[in-house]
Amino acid sequence: MHRSAAVWIRRTIASAIGVMVAAGPFTAPAQQPAGDAQLRQELDTVKEQLRRVEQQMRQQEELIRRLIGERPAAPAAPLGTAPAPPGAPPGPAVTAPARPAAPAQPGSAPAYTPDIEELKRMVLQEIQPQLAAANKTFPSQFNPAIGFIVDTVFSHSRQKKSNFEFRSAEIGISGNIDPFARAYGIINGTPDGVDVEEAAIVTTSLPWGLTVKGGRFFAEFGRLSTFHDHDLPFVNRPMVLDQYVDGESQADGVEVNWLAPIPHYLSFTLGAYNKIGAENDRVDNRIPRDLSEFTVLGRVNTFFDLTDSIGLDVGASDAYTPEVRIDGLKERNLFGVDVTLRYTPLSQAAYRGFIWGTEILVNHEARPGITPTEDSPKQIFRFRDAFGLYSYLEPRLTRRYYPGLLYEYVQDIDRPSLSTWAISPYFTIWLSEFQRLRLQYTHLESNRPATRPTDDQFFVQWTAIIGSHVHSFRDR
Amino acid sequence: MRRLLLPLLAILVALLPADVGAAKKIRVVTTIPDLADITRQVGGDLVDVSSLATGVEDVHAVPMKPSYAVVLNRADVVILMGLEMEHAFLPALLEASRNPKIQRDQPAYIDCSVYVTPLEVPTRLDRSLGDIHPMGNPHFNLDPVNAKNIVRAIVDGLSRNYPEHAATFKKNGDAYNAKLDEAIARWQREAAPLKGKKFVTYHPDLIYFAERFGMVQFGTIEIRPGIDPTPAHVADLIERMRQNKVDLVVRELHYPAGLAATVAQATGAKLVELPTMVRGVPEAKDYISFVDYNVRTLVNAVKGG
Repeated sequence: MHRSAAVWIRRTIASAIGVMVAAGPFTAPAQQPAGDAQLRQELDTVKEQLRRVEQQMRQQEELIRRLIGERPAAPAAPLGTAPAPPGAPPGPAVTAPARPAAPAQPGSAPAYTPDIEELKRMVLQEIQPQLAAANKTFPSQFNPAIGFIVDTVFSHSRQKKSNFEFRSAEIGISGNIDPFARAYGIINGTPDGVDVEEAAIVTTSLPWGLTVKGGRFFAEFGRLSTFHDHDLPFVNRPMVLDQYVDGESQADGVEVNWLAPIPHYLSFTLGAYNKIGAENDRVDNRIPRDLSEFTVLGRVNTFFDLTDSIGLDVGASDAYTPEVRIDGLKERNLFGVDVTLRYTPLSQAAYRGFIWGTEILVNHEARPGITPTEDSPKQIFRFRDAFGLYSYLEPRLTRRYYPGLLYEYVQDIDRPSLSTWAISPYFTIWLSEFQRLRLQYTHLESNRPATRPTDDQFFVQWTAIIGSHVHSFRDR
Repeated sequence: MRRLLLPLLAILVALLPADVGAAKKIRVVTTIPDLADITRQVGGDLVDVSSLATGVEDVHAVPMKPSYAVVLNRADVVILMGLEMEHAFLPALLEASRNPKIQRDQPAYIDCSVYVTPLEVPTRLDRSLGDIHPMGNPHFNLDPVNAKNIVRAIVDGLSRNYPEHAATFKKNGDAYNAKLDEAIARWQREAAPLKGKKFVTYHPDLIYFAERFGMVQFGTIEIRPGIDPTPAHVADLIERMRQNKVDLVVRELHYPAGLAATVAQATGAKLVELPTMVRGVPEAKDYISFVDYNVRTLVNAVKGG
């Protein structure tokens, strides 16, 4: 309590006493003329009023002393007044309900003196309408968090020439639905059109370490399959993921994840989907299918703290489709193992360290053999086992500069004897957490007859995010 | 069948929690060791406390390890600094923990910023201002008076979840506050030479400490919070520091040494290296020794020791 406030209160109370004492004689003549006894009675009443006011004043002064002692840095506004609301016309300050100023009636209970808690409530009562008014100026406050990502690439290739490629403009939306679930959506605009990349509901309060996800989302197959293109550590999706998973592991379906209740990290995922793969054209999401044509997924993932600074993630995934219609209703099995080793020195986590990530995929599937002819019009399918991998190492030199090297090898899914390999040094510059430049060179060699044996490619990628951003466990 | 039984039993025993049979303590997970130490003071024998960060990290870059999700999965209570200090790792870890009772806004989610008056609350939210914290600077753990606000939040939070032990938490909290009061009076005396001293830090970590002991933050080596400096910014900072006779360059230990040393050398300011959390250096083994270390190191630097 400021000293000037205390003085102000004392003066107010003294004035109130003066007014009440002065008012006493004026109220008496308004009544019927009375004798000495009545005048004496009225005088006694006035004396009693004066005694109560004095008592009240002592209590107020005691309260002021307590306030001065306990809250020396409180605002300088006089007690019982509240600041005018923003935009209010100039004039006298709004006065709080001034209980002590009400004249005590003869025979009434002793005047109430508010304690600290009561004072807090009085202050809150005064400012509540202003808070409510402020809240009303944000009618959109229940809107979900929104982020917007732009990803653009300049590419130059001996085979494919040069291009400014607007890769995507992506809007991400997320928010809680209720106490039981949250929802998120990723809407992606590319030169090919606008697509709902993800739109899913995720439970948040199931017991026993369970989470259920439903809708359209990236199925938990491997590691980088669940990354959006702009989140990849390099410019392009590794060939093995592009050809075997068919892009991001987008899937329409449902997925259950269970965290084992043991002291070691062990996570299991089971899923059922129309298909896996954003560009997988074996199955059309819009056409209903037999139960045997759904893809089911199983994944197990664990983590080892090798030291305080070194951690190892290991996962194995298997996606099984009992019958693939375009493959003559034969089965398909895609199996993958992913290993990620991270060195993150705790005291320099933002500046030093490295990450080594590898995934190996094996595709077992009946694939079309020789092209049908008039003599043999029936398409023949043969089971093929093809495998591919990628491996990359990315040291962290500073908070801003991340060089890296990516190696890839992939067998043709139809003819595993044909293969392609590539090596890509790249360099990422984080201008800030929200803006990134990346340079990449890729040397590629292939023995596939439809392509030239070698190619050299150059990329410059520029990516930025505005609005809401999250540090997700999946993309860590 | 008997041959199978023995391995199955062995697996079952291996999967059992390690504390089966022991007296059940309240399993508390804190985000930083400062909160772990204070929680031990408040909870005494009733709590089993672990901290996600070890104390040497940049609190904005604590690694998101899956093993932390397991620790949180088994927690009865999570205690955090709040003001979005842990936004880079805690929300995702809480979701990965699959522990509904410690999620945000649940009673077992104890936010220690509730009684703190935040400093540097931005008047405008814009990424051009850097990676700012919308609710204000969250590094209030460096101010020992705010440690009392932390004590209050922890006493309240634990009592809310375990009302049967509320009296014990209150008694322990009061006892620790008395220790803090005694130490604060001593630090106020010892830190008298710091009054009015101008300093530059790498990141605005020291603002609450400076406010408490009368120091003056002149600027930061970062161009904005979370944004690494550019050469032009460093040159401008050095020039302004020279003109204004800045006394100290404080390097928080998780930031690069070279640039802070260069700035100190170029300006004639004294270079000081400080931890920002308990256990950031071996001497800072608990909260009181952590503040002791910071006060002593700064005073020694100012006195030319």
